[in-house]
Amino acid sequence: MVEFRNVSYTYPNGQQALNRINLKIEDNEFVFVVGANGAGKSTLIKLLLRELTATEGEVIVNGFNLTKMKQRKVPKLRRTIGVVFQDFRLIPNMTVYDNVAFALRVIDAPTKYIRARVPYVISLVGLTAKAKSYPNDLSGGEQQRVALARALVNDPQLIIADEPTGNVDPARSFEIVDLLKAINECGTTVLMVTHQHDLVRYFGGRIININTGAVVFDEVIGGADEAQ
Amino acid sequence: MRLNSFKYLVKQGFAGLWFNRVNSFASLCIMTISLLMVGVSVLVSINVNNMIGAIESRNEVIVVIEDGVPENNLTLLGDQLSSNRNVSEVRFYSRDEAWADMQADMSEDEKALFQYMSKNPLPDCYRIRVKDITELSETVGEISQLASVEEVQSPNDFANILISIRNVCAILFSAVTLSLIVVCFVIISNSTRSSVYARRREISIMRYVGASKSFVEIPFFVEGLVIGIVSAAIAFGLTWFAYNEIFNMFSSDVNMLSIFGLTAIIPFESIAVRTAIAYAACGIILSAVGTVISTRKHLKV
Repeated sequence: MVEFRNVSYTYPNGQQALNRINLKIEDNEFVFVVGANGAGKSTLIKLLLRELTATEGEVIVNGFNLTKMKQRKVPKLRRTIGVVFQDFRLIPNMTVYDNVAFALRVIDAPTKYIRARVPYVISLVGLTAKAKSYPNDLSGGEQQRVALARALVNDPQLIIADEPTGNVDPARSFEIVDLLKAINECGTTVLMVTHQHDLVRYFGGRIININTGAVVFDEVIGGADEAQ
Repeated sequence: MRLNSFKYLVKQGFAGLWFNRVNSFASLCIMTISLLMVGVSVLVSINVNNMIGAIESRNEVIVVIEDGVPENNLTLLGDQLSSNRNVSEVRFYSRDEAWADMQADMSEDEKALFQYMSKNPLPDCYRIRVKDITELSETVGEISQLASVEEVQSPNDFANILISIRNVCAILFSAVTLSLIVVCFVIISNSTRSSVYARRREISIMRYVGASKSFVEIPFFVEGLVIGIVSAAIAFGLTWFAYNEIFNMFSSDVNMLSIFGLTAIIPFESIAVRTAIAYAACGIILSAVGTVISTRKHLKV
């Protein structure tokens, strides 16, 4: 569960990025966050990941109150969140398997668990045949699926996808969102930030539009996929 | 932390060293040279101190005794001298002994000058050695106050020169050591910084998947530690070789040091263990502290 209570954020240079935002995202929801460049979407994500701390109000993520949270507790919070970025952020000198396993190794998971969990998650994103390939040998869509597998492998309560289709060709973009939808159906809350309005219109669901640091639209719309 | 994770982190540290091999090699070389210079500076300082100590111990103060002092007062004075905290050795040098020694040193012509002298003109005296030459003037002052003492003859100028040499050496070696320690810190810090930069992608991913601070820092710590230990080992090996060469040079039949009246340098075997421990401690402490400070500075986990 994610909740923003009267949250404002002002950067040290005085620029106000978010202004008294109130939001509640329940468990198992799938939410699109849209908005123009500079609207405050990135700040919103940074607050969710506790890269920034709200200058006013309270941010609650998966039971953690991020406003009061001590720095040393941040890794604990982040283990409950999976993050997917537009630029994939894979490690080029590691195979697909190692890139996914990396997320478990750094949280000190037992080797036995890593050996069982990683092939399973790679199979979920349909990349079993490419487990030994390196990121640079994969297409943009495949790389993003590796990134998704890495986000999923910790079995997070919440997945934050920051423009996950930005570097993927249009046909593959739909596959990525399909995958996120499938993950959501398995019980994970998904928050996807995007610029691609065609995707939002196609899939529908809860749309949050942020403009100049404020929520200007927050409603559920029907998607074209449901109409078909 | 699990053993497997620890092994993984150590492996990552070595991988980091290999990944930044040019930079690691440069750091290793500079660190070795710096440690070597610290080592040389300390070894020279130890040897200079040893030589000064040897000269000091040969240094003699003569306590001239008044004429006609009875036997028991002489013994009392001898006891008083022995009980002085800065006196290491006391020897009675009788007037007869002194007269005999003086005559032994005289040429025949000189002896002829003294043959009609009816009475031995020399006084009884005590010859003493001091433990610490820096306290010579205080000791001389204390002895002069004692009963039956006519005069105290001490090599004050010589003592002052030795003290000056020792002080200059101490300041010089401390300055060299301190500045080289700073150099080592900067090198390790720089090496860690470039390593952090080279692995920034991994670090950012580690942060997002919830790696703890220590998990992110340990590979850099391992990198720094390896550089520190290897450079200490190389510096020790080089010191051993060079020191033995120098030792052999000064231990030949025509000893260069003995020409200047100095004692021989200390053999490496008798300081090898201490040198090895000092190098290892310097390498490990400098690299560990340097890495920790630098990772804290450059890694915002």
